[in-house]
Amino acid sequence: MKLLLVEDDRELRVTLREALEVEGYEVLTAASLADAMAQLTHAGPLDAVLLDLGLPDGDGEALLQALRRERSTPLIVISARQVEGQKIRLLDAGADDYLVKPFGIGELLARLRVALRHRGTVAQPAVTLYRRAGLEVDLTAHRVRRDGVDVHLTPTEFKLLARLVRQAGQVVTHRRLLADVWGADATEQTHYLRLYMAQLRAKLEAEPAEPSVLLTEPGVGYRIAEPG
Amino acid sequence: MTTRPYFQLLPWIATGSLLALAWLGWKLRQAWAGLRAAQRAAQLERALREFGDLMRDAERPEAHAHELLQALTGLAGRPVAALLRPACGEQDVILGEPDANALAGLQLCADGGRALGPGTAHHAGEPDLYLPLRGRDAALGAVTLRGLGTVALPADQLAHAQALCDQMGLALQRRRVQDEARRAGELADLQSTRNALLAAIAHDYRTPLATIMGSASALQTQGDRLTPTQRQELAGRIVDETGRLVRLTDNTLQLARLGAPGVALRCDWESAEEIVGAALRRVRRRPDGERVKARIDPELPLLWCDAALMSQLLDNLVDNALKYSPATAPVELVVRRLGPEALFAVRDRGPGIEPAWRDRVFDAFQRGDLAAFQQRPPGAGVGLAVCRAIAEVHGGTLSLRPRGHGGCSFEARLPLRDAPALPELA
Repeated sequence: MKLLLVEDDRELRVTLREALEVEGYEVLTAASLADAMAQLTHAGPLDAVLLDLGLPDGDGEALLQALRRERSTPLIVISARQVEGQKIRLLDAGADDYLVKPFGIGELLARLRVALRHRGTVAQPAVTLYRRAGLEVDLTAHRVRRDGVDVHLTPTEFKLLARLVRQAGQVVTHRRLLADVWGADATEQTHYLRLYMAQLRAKLEAEPAEPSVLLTEPGVGYRIAEPG
Repeated sequence: MTTRPYFQLLPWIATGSLLALAWLGWKLRQAWAGLRAAQRAAQLERALREFGDLMRDAERPEAHAHELLQALTGLAGRPVAALLRPACGEQDVILGEPDANALAGLQLCADGGRALGPGTAHHAGEPDLYLPLRGRDAALGAVTLRGLGTVALPADQLAHAQALCDQMGLALQRRRVQDEARRAGELADLQSTRNALLAAIAHDYRTPLATIMGSASALQTQGDRLTPTQRQELAGRIVDETGRLVRLTDNTLQLARLGAPGVALRCDWESAEEIVGAALRRVRRRPDGERVKARIDPELPLLWCDAALMSQLLDNLVDNALKYSPATAPVELVVRRLGPEALFAVRDRGPGIEPAWRDRVFDAFQRGDLAAFQQRPPGAGVGLAVCRAIAEVHGGTLSLRPRGHGGCSFEARLPLRDAPALPELA
């Protein structure tokens, strides 16, 4: 597994590289966007990219685009709180997930694991059967069960749930959910999401007020918990 | 010697009388003119005094510029225009619609501080008269009386016009000096508040830093003599305390951001239940997180707010409640509608906060009094200050209410707006 780590702070770069190497990853590093773009052209196929925002030579949008032109290599955005807007823009543009600095190594490994599982699966979803906490979603059979009992969902509810399941474990922004479920002209209608997520939670969560599967990422989007 | 008949004297008498009359008339006219001049001088003096009184009491002298222009028009019967420079760094005030030429003349006159045009020592051939608004050491503007041609104003009128202008100039200067003094005072206050804030925040950083330093250096120097359990504990403590520093840093940065003018919020239609649900998920990861009991009114409409900020508010209030109340006491998180507002309340069974501190806990360290800051009740740090700032940027409030059987209730109120219509369920 070959990763590209783009991080301008030397201390953090070294720490992350060592931690990732302990897990058996081969880690290439870059300290700037220009450096990262060069690695992208010369390093051969990569399995995932970790991109820190707020690099001295620009935001990572160009890198994301260059990456996506060739292959569906997962990209995880690492952001500080001050660049919230930039983070959401990259997620809307197709970045796979994000981490907010500072984060623990456990969190990084979990995000990476999920991203690698979804690798190369944009056309063909990796997850068609989702199971967690008594919930079972079968995308091919169009069936949802809770504790072994069939749950009836409306077509829109199912579409929304299926969209989250296709990227299980990863955050999906409001914009992308709205575009994929309601259409490109509904991307500002966040209140649709509030209503339908509440409906889904009422039907699927053991305790809807304290969800453990259909999770909210305030100000960013929603995430269905990693299966398992 | 013949005696001349009286009638022969008549022509002389008549002439004499006429002369006397003429003399008298001339004298009378002179006296009358003197009287008129005296009257006019008195009138001018009164006008000057009245304008002086007006200027002396004027908080914003430039607001009375049109009165000056009116007086000058009355004096010379000519159109007038003015340029005022009320304060350093502020824009000039222009009155009376001068054309580009007149504006250049006004600038020149104000810069040089001396009168220009007919009847003056400079540019006497020009048709327009320019008079500076003289302060003590510089001119703070100028006026122009237009189209006098080569006819100069009588000296007394010119002097009077200049005197009126100087009263405006002095008033503008007085105001400028006052402004500068006030600004210097504000700057000094700001500086001392900022220093106190920095000292207070640095003070709050020391505790977690001390723990991190202790644990990390123990791992570094005693690592091989510690049991795996001890090492794990030390590492865990470093992670926990780093989390505290992260929260402190986030709060400090947020406070600075929200204090800046024109801060941009990322508002959207948000569900209170979701924001609370996410906060609960975070708090449940803490060993004492189970103490939090949430009650949310399911009928609460969507809120127009910045979800990330509201999450930060809840995290801070819940963190404080858990930290400063007994380890067995529950912490309640209540969200419900209260008339036109949404109420977010975090209630603890801690020792409560003394009445004297109840309002000050929110800005304990912003008052610039470090001694008082060190006496503050536990929890009154940058976290509560940022909570109040978050409530306020949403047009809401954050207050503290003592609870009936001990403890505090921190209550954020946010105004409710008409939520958008929801689609038919499908």
